[in-house]
Amino acid sequence: MTISVDCAPPASAPQQHKEWLEDVALFEKQNPNITVNSIFENPCEVPASFTAMLKAGNEPNVFYTYFTDKNQVLDAGQAADITSYVNSKTVPALKDIVPTALAAVTAGKTLYGLPTVNYTQGLIINRVLFKQAGLNPDQPPTTWAEVEQDAKAITKLGHGIFGYGDYSAGNNGGWHFSSEIDAEGGHMINSAGTGAAFNSDQGKAVLQALHQMRFVDHSMSPTQQLAWGTLQKQMAANKLGMYIAAPDDIYNVIVPQDGGNINDYGMGPLPSTSGTPAGSLSGGNDYMFAKRDTPAQIEAGIKWLVFENLTPGVGFYNYARQKADGFPVGFPEPQMFTGATEAKQQQLMTKSATVNPAYFSTFASAHELAMGEPADAQAVYKTLDPVMLEVLTNPNANISQLLSTATGQVNQILANSG
Amino acid sequence: MSAHGFLIGAVLCFGFFSWYPICREIVMSFQKSRLGVTSWAGLSNYERIFRDPTFWTAWKNTLEFTVLALIIGYAVPFFVAILLNELRHAKGYLRCLVYLPVMLPPTSALLLFAYFYDPSYGLFNDVLRHLHLPVSQWVQSPGTGLPSMAMISVVIAATWMNMGGATLIYLAALQNIPGELYDAAELDGAGLFRKIRHVTIPQTRLILSMLLLLQIVATMQMFVEAFILTNGGAGVNNNTLSVVNLIYQYAFALSGASNYNSASALGVVLMLVLAVFSGGYLWLTRQTDR
Amino acid sequence: MADSTDRSLISAAQLNRHRVAYRVVLTLIVVIFTLIFIGPLYFLFSDGLKSTQEAVQVPPTLVPAHVHPGSYTAAWSRVGLGRLLVNTLYYAFGALALQLVFDVAAAYSLSRLRPVLGNVIFALMLATLMIPATVLVVPQYVTIADLPLLHLNLIGSPEAIWLPSVANAFNIFLLKRFFDSIPGDLLSAAAIDGASPLRTLRSVVLPISRPIIGVVSIFSLVAVWKDFLWPLLVEYGYNPNRETLNVGIFEAASTTPQNLVLAASAMAAVPTLVFFLIFQRNILSGLTAGSLKG
Repeated sequence: MTISVDCAPPASAPQQHKEWLEDVALFEKQNPNITVNSIFENPCEVPASFTAMLKAGNEPNVFYTYFTDKNQVLDAGQAADITSYVNSKTVPALKDIVPTALAAVTAGKTLYGLPTVNYTQGLIINRVLFKQAGLNPDQPPTTWAEVEQDAKAITKLGHGIFGYGDYSAGNNGGWHFSSEIDAEGGHMINSAGTGAAFNSDQGKAVLQALHQMRFVDHSMSPTQQLAWGTLQKQMAANKLGMYIAAPDDIYNVIVPQDGGNINDYGMGPLPSTSGTPAGSLSGGNDYMFAKRDTPAQIEAGIKWLVFENLTPGVGFYNYARQKADGFPVGFPEPQMFTGATEAKQQQLMTKSATVNPAYFSTFASAHELAMGEPADAQAVYKTLDPVMLEVLTNPNANISQLLSTATGQVNQILANSG
Repeated sequence: MSAHGFLIGAVLCFGFFSWYPICREIVMSFQKSRLGVTSWAGLSNYERIFRDPTFWTAWKNTLEFTVLALIIGYAVPFFVAILLNELRHAKGYLRCLVYLPVMLPPTSALLLFAYFYDPSYGLFNDVLRHLHLPVSQWVQSPGTGLPSMAMISVVIAATWMNMGGATLIYLAALQNIPGELYDAAELDGAGLFRKIRHVTIPQTRLILSMLLLLQIVATMQMFVEAFILTNGGAGVNNNTLSVVNLIYQYAFALSGASNYNSASALGVVLMLVLAVFSGGYLWLTRQTDR
Repeated sequence: MADSTDRSLISAAQLNRHRVAYRVVLTLIVVIFTLIFIGPLYFLFSDGLKSTQEAVQVPPTLVPAHVHPGSYTAAWSRVGLGRLLVNTLYYAFGALALQLVFDVAAAYSLSRLRPVLGNVIFALMLATLMIPATVLVVPQYVTIADLPLLHLNLIGSPEAIWLPSVANAFNIFLLKRFFDSIPGDLLSAAAIDGASPLRTLRSVVLPISRPIIGVVSIFSLVAVWKDFLWPLLVEYGYNPNRETLNVGIFEAASTTPQNLVLAASAMAAVPTLVFFLIFQRNILSGLTAGSLKG
């Protein structure tokens, strides 16, 4: 019996491709009646493809989605109910999976998929610039005041180097704002999901910190309207001191694509006024099951996912192999597990670590609360982009007014989507 | 083989891959999908898009884009063709040059322009600074006036990428103008601009008119230029958001299956507008045909 | 063509009188146009020669600090350009062949054979020019996944790219216009000899249509070459050996160092440029001859 699984690393990512093929071979040997038909793609999800595939109903048997796609998949009627197939026997690590990750693939009492990656965000710092500016890279700043201070020191280095950077285009401005406000203790949307909640002291505090760094301290670049991809390049070129991201930015983007040096980066928790982040925007990916799957296919799919993505030491978590293949080991991501499973994962990771986990200790020990994304996330982020942009390009930006205008727009979006 | 026999291959392809999908699109615009159930939604998708303030912004932008594209993207190829037609040397070389950008994959060309337009480090502002001229924010200009610098920047990039085709077509048409007409005009004492107005333009009237229609229709459908240059199509304060960019946003960028039906509704509205416009244009120009 | 080579706006005599001014203007134009049209391409090609760190640098450097021609070879193998090129050529020429058969036949029919409802069909074809591709992409995909009546799934097969390309109203329009301008006596002579429409098409019409066929060919090849969204939807992932150039580079962009991606993009642009350089005479004569009266 065959199951098709997508998001397999293509040949243009040779090491990951090799590891995937090894895993498939091993899995098929252990389960002789299952054949895994891999669909190689990167990036794993392209919006137009995803929408088209759901409409046509020809998604793979086991298909990759972002946490935020849940409603779209459900509305398209393409998600199979796997509640009865998942228990502690079929998924040994079930009780240790981070609750917010499971919640992302559950609607009401029905389970629709298995999460495979979960992340929160922190503050990525450039250790090289920190040292050059006389700062201690093992103690990343935790409050906005400290960030402002450190950013000033780094900007003094000159040569086009800036201490802090942030996004303001391509929906990424709103995305980062969400994370920053979560850390501050605020919320994007009220708990009922009916109205915007970011026009608050917390929202203002975040924007004020950014505005201060840009126009008072001049520790942010005059070039704004940046979208995903730019800050990573600046970090790789050692022109940026700090920015907010999830750990995988380092080993997925900055090092392999932008040529950064793996040992030049560290992470601290998200900045907040208090120094202890109240939470972080979190996100992740999962695999769901196509509506047309047979029970046998669902069982096989679950077996594969457990093998590849939910067992420390095997498949995705085969740290020893990753180290042998030249991949960095030691990053605090994905944060999928708690309890005994997490302990096992940490132990294996430390044994094969190639980067110094101490570089990320303040981030890892902050144990940020994963907050999930707001309803209609992309639409909300899009609305906040101009707010971020105005704050970062207009010296006389009226933060209160910007937030209240955006509140009206977001309320309209929430009302429209019904 | 009968007349219809010759047609059948193309008609089948049109049928399956153009006409049928268009009908599906129209049907989808009247539906909504919730939790796997597709149901009749009547005009609610249309109501929703008309209620969206960005809808009106998008139409205003599309109009602005079209007018700008006519001034820059329509007039420039014509005058470049006239210029090239006068030269006696290097014609082949220049023709190739002009058509080169058309061959480039749009993403490559636009990434180049994105770099050129960067307000701090881009080539254009660099040059302006060296010439002691004021710099511009180009695509990132926040103004929403008519016209906005952001929109002009998008049109310039689009013109560079696409003018080659039109230029070559005009060039071909110019070569068909009988030389005696110019002789006659000169005998009447016409200078350069008079000759262009009274000989060149009237002689190429038909091709000019046809390309005008095609250009307008194509411009109103432009998507990838704004999309790549402004990271999503919207620009600052939505000042480069065209109708097609808005359709893309509804369909793919805002998450939620129901929004796809809104995208279909907007697509249908655009189709209607273009159809009415083209119909009207053709009817008007029909009267003045030879 | 004959009567247009006499003179244009500025007569030869006037040109001779202002020799110097002409030379100056000519040089200026060549220089300016080279800067405008080739200048940007320089960046595209030189970026590929930089090291990864330099390629992502902001502000970008004008000349690579160290030339790494190895980037081009590395890009070739890492991105698998050889395979991607072959695939894209396969799609492009297949689409071209189908278009030449079906679209030429259709244009000939609409122009010369006057089928019943011919005008309606032509109008419906032209109407498809009014619809932006972005709008149609999802319903087209859904249709291709399950063709009505035939219940075929074409995804992952080359037909998914070839067949929709035949629905090219612009090319049919150009072809029809050209056929419309063929002198009637040529065709009636053939008819008197008892030639069937097919025979007439093959022996009379096609030989003199070479210019317009050249034009239509280049438009068709370039369209397939540059297409991105559609091949992304129907060939991506399902058949890693069948991806097109643009899709392959897009995929590599997330996994490969920047300078290699730029080198790959530069190389991807070359085949169409070369093709144009080789065939430009045919193309331009096609645009001149008869298809665009007045």
